[in-house]
Amino acid sequence: MTRSTSPRLGGYASLAALGLITGLAAGRVELIALAAPFALAALAGAVLGRTPRIEAALSLDRDRALEGDAASATIKVSSATGVDRLELLLPLPGELVAAGRNPRALRLPAGEQRTLELAIRCERWGAFRLGPLLFRGRDLLGFHAWEAAAGEPQPLRVYPSVETLHALLPPLETQVFVGNQVSRAHGDGIEFADVRQWAPGDRVRRINWRASARRGELWVNEQHPERNTDVILFLDTFAEVRVHGRGTHDLAVRAATSLAHRYLQRKDRVGLVSFGGFLSWLLPRSGTLQLYKIVDSLLQTDIVLTFASRGVDVLPRRSLPPKALVLALTPLLDPRSAGALLDLRARGFDLVVVEVSPVEFVHPGPDELSQLSYRLWKLSREALRSRYESAGVPVVQWREGVPLDVPLEEVRAYRRYARAARA
Amino acid sequence: MLGYAVARSPGLAGLLVAFGAVGAVLLLAVLVRGLDELLPWALAPLGVVYAISLFAAGGGIDEAAPLVATALLLCGELATWSLDARWSIPAEQGVELRRAAALGALALAGLVASAAVVASAAAPAGGGLAWTTLGAASAVGIVGVAVALLRRTG
Repeated sequence: MTRSTSPRLGGYASLAALGLITGLAAGRVELIALAAPFALAALAGAVLGRTPRIEAALSLDRDRALEGDAASATIKVSSATGVDRLELLLPLPGELVAAGRNPRALRLPAGEQRTLELAIRCERWGAFRLGPLLFRGRDLLGFHAWEAAAGEPQPLRVYPSVETLHALLPPLETQVFVGNQVSRAHGDGIEFADVRQWAPGDRVRRINWRASARRGELWVNEQHPERNTDVILFLDTFAEVRVHGRGTHDLAVRAATSLAHRYLQRKDRVGLVSFGGFLSWLLPRSGTLQLYKIVDSLLQTDIVLTFASRGVDVLPRRSLPPKALVLALTPLLDPRSAGALLDLRARGFDLVVVEVSPVEFVHPGPDELSQLSYRLWKLSREALRSRYESAGVPVVQWREGVPLDVPLEEVRAYRRYARAARA
Repeated sequence: MLGYAVARSPGLAGLLVAFGAVGAVLLLAVLVRGLDELLPWALAPLGVVYAISLFAAGGGIDEAAPLVATALLLCGELATWSLDARWSIPAEQGVELRRAAALGALALAGLVASAAVVASAAAPAGGGLAWTTLGAASAVGIVGVAVALLRRTG
């Protein structure tokens, strides 16, 4: 425990000594009377300088929460010697806001234990460690203060809020395992695909009797089998635009969480690649555990400034399985991510680019040069989108406040009507 | 207090006001900039003002000395309290009341001690040597406490 003494205590003692000596030397009792209260105050300060014994503990009611939820911190303090004024502070990161009094001051009588509750509002997703608790004890007149920290840091993971997605983006090709996605291939399934001539080995139940009667020979039904999909969420973490605590990275993380949640619900395999200053990946897996792994990995992602040039060849092969649907969430700010995505397209991946638009986070200045720079910046972004589209990659813009369903529907429409242009 | 001192020694009003102004400026600096280590030095010029008025007025014992002393102490303590209150730490009911009560008790005890000193000087007592020895011992004692406390704060 760190002890500090108010500088006025030494000053009071000095004034008392000065008054006493001056009074004795000059023979004026009034000066001695002037010194008496200060001497008494100095004596009181010396008497009150007993170090208190304070014990404090910190605990949280939960270790996981969603954005917008409230968590509750319980602080237990006790003192064997008592504290006249005990000030408590639980340092919180900017993303968490205390709904109650923090810091607060209270009196702690000897032998008494107090339990205090502090409501914490989770404003933004992230992985946090709350604590230790900081406290400062003071004597009655504030001559001495004792400061220390207590309690172990408590982990709190705040998960991004999940958007409701009514329909997901189907891949161009499915995988070989059983799933919920209707495949384009023909085989055993529920959805009718075609009829063909009977071949040895076909089961009797598959015979299409009407077609067979019309043609005078056996014809069988074919269905579209249900297969699963491999989805890779490709997060561009080279750069972001942020203003007033909101930014493109927040939107991208929320979108990735929502997509992972829905695809995994459908029993698809979902993987994650965080491509930027800090490279990380999760191999595609299915199940609830994979969802937690993806979200925990997203909580750790951050925009890290780097000048290193990277390509997708640094990623292990298993992180990008063949025929996987690659959903890229990018603000289209850094050319390195554009290069990597076009490389993926050239390697034959089914790529969709969801542009997390930074335009509404950018406010150009009023002067002509700023306005011109802004227009040039927007034109360069249009040029980059054209590069993607000429490579056959659908690029859709997603702005804050617009449901994620909207850009996904735009991709579906693009795939339905887009055709390769021939000269 | 400055007015009281000037009233006792109107001839030295200029000097007294100058010392008082120095004390006031230092006190203002303490309150505005939060320099609590300057607080005793802000009170010292005010004590000097009173001391000058004592010597200038001459005569017998000034019975207002305990009030002046208590006023100086309260000035220092209230200035410190206002600096502490700037942290804006909401306190539970009773915490501030206890400090106010303790401050009041300290001021009252200071007043009584100061009055006792004045009263003991006014009472006829022989053995001047004994009183001088007691005074010297008190001075040495308080200087020792001052040194110990200054070392602790330094």
